Amino acid sequence: MSVISAKNIKKSFGKLEVLKDVSLDVQEGEVVSIIGPSGSGKSTFLRSMIHLETVDGGSISIDGEEVVANGIYLKSNAFQKLGMVFQNFNLFPHKSVLENITLAPMLVNKETKDEAEGYARELLESVGLLDKIDAYPYQLSGGQQQRVAIARALAMRPRAILFDEPTSALDPELTGEILKVIRDLANRKMTMVIVTHEIEFAKIVSDRIIFMADGYIVEEGSPDAVVDNPQNERTKAFLKHFTR
Amino acid sequence: MDLFITVTLSLLEGLWTTFKIFALTLLAALPLGLLISLGSMSKIKIIKWPIKTLIWIIRGTPLMLQLIVFGFGPGLLGINGMSTFVAVMLAFILNYSCYFSEIFRGGIESIPKGQYEAGQVLGMSKKEIFFNVVLMQVVKRIVPPMSNEFLTLVKDTSLANTIMIYEITWNAKRFMNSEHILWPLFYSGVFYLAFCGILTLLFGYIEKKLDYYKG
Repeated sequence: MSVISAKNIKKSFGKLEVLKDVSLDVQEGEVVSIIGPSGSGKSTFLRSMIHLETVDGGSISIDGEEVVANGIYLKSNAFQKLGMVFQNFNLFPHKSVLENITLAPMLVNKETKDEAEGYARELLESVGLLDKIDAYPYQLSGGQQQRVAIARALAMRPRAILFDEPTSALDPELTGEILKVIRDLANRKMTMVIVTHEIEFAKIVSDRIIFMADGYIVEEGSPDAVVDNPQNERTKAFLKHFTR
Repeated sequence: MDLFITVTLSLLEGLWTTFKIFALTLLAALPLGLLISLGSMSKIKIIKWPIKTLIWIIRGTPLMLQLIVFGFGPGLLGINGMSTFVAVMLAFILNYSCYFSEIFRGGIESIPKGQYEAGQVLGMSKKEIFFNVVLMQVVKRIVPPMSNEFLTLVKDTSLANTIMIYEITWNAKRFMNSEHILWPLFYSGVFYLAFCGILTLLFGYIEKKLDYYKG
């Protein structure tokens, strides 16, 4: 069964048609990366999947439950089953690392403080930041903040995590630590959709790569097929910028 | 020397009234101001525009005039029995709610969209996001403009003397008439200074307390 199923998604900002007709099925345990030039609609598409954007048309199901039917939003909490990691981390600056992670599990999932903190410790250990548990976001590097953000998303035990350019705001030497965490998650079969400019990384970590341009999916397939052997002219032109 | 003690006691009595106006205004105007600010940012036009109009009227006319309207307006309309003190309180609360609301609005609108989005993708409701994520950050950002308003309020209480409220300034002016002396009026400044001094220290302490995080 697919964890996320988006069909014929359409979205406009005023007169600008950002998503013209985009469909994507993400299977359990699958890692899908979305690449493409700026303005191709890839971030908007990702944000639509978790209702940070409201689509104008199309249908979305999460974990088999329909949440959008032909552009109509149904009453459902299923969007909560997805987690999201932002380009700018969006940690809560007034809360410590621990509080950032435990806030939603306690508030939304009604976990006890002990449960939430126990799991937060586990997650912090897995992203290598247990020693920063009492720090505040401003005391952390960008890479550390992003790792906390990933732990915070994981704390809600999501069925899938969406990553919106998770390394774009980081200095090049800090992207490695984030990519390592994402690779670990992939090895543990976490379902993920990643919008990224890190083509080499996408190639290593993904089961499938999608190339978007002008509000459409232009090409998709295995990393080898899309990155090393693109068929579409737009894909070829885009990937030329990344040739080694 | 006797006169000095008499004046001091009289001004202290006035200080108590001043303090009452100050404290009651804050107690009511802070929550009311928050409500008004939420209304002024509402997407529903029949909520937003009446509130915007109210803020415009209150901020666009002198507090002195508002005191007179509340002090003498009810009597002119045939409503008797409202005490002058209640009138003063209504005027101050309404006036300060509107100023506070604009400070709250500025603070709330300065919180980046990403904070709301982070709350949303974690499954939090709008209310949960507002109280757990946004409000505490707003508090930190509005401490400096709020401290300004608090100090202004201390001094604005003196306007209540125009409708016969026996606060510090009224008690000081009293001696002008009865004893034909001016110095109690100058002396009254010391009481305002001390009051504001304590508030300044308090706000310094709050700012330091909120300094545990940046951003």
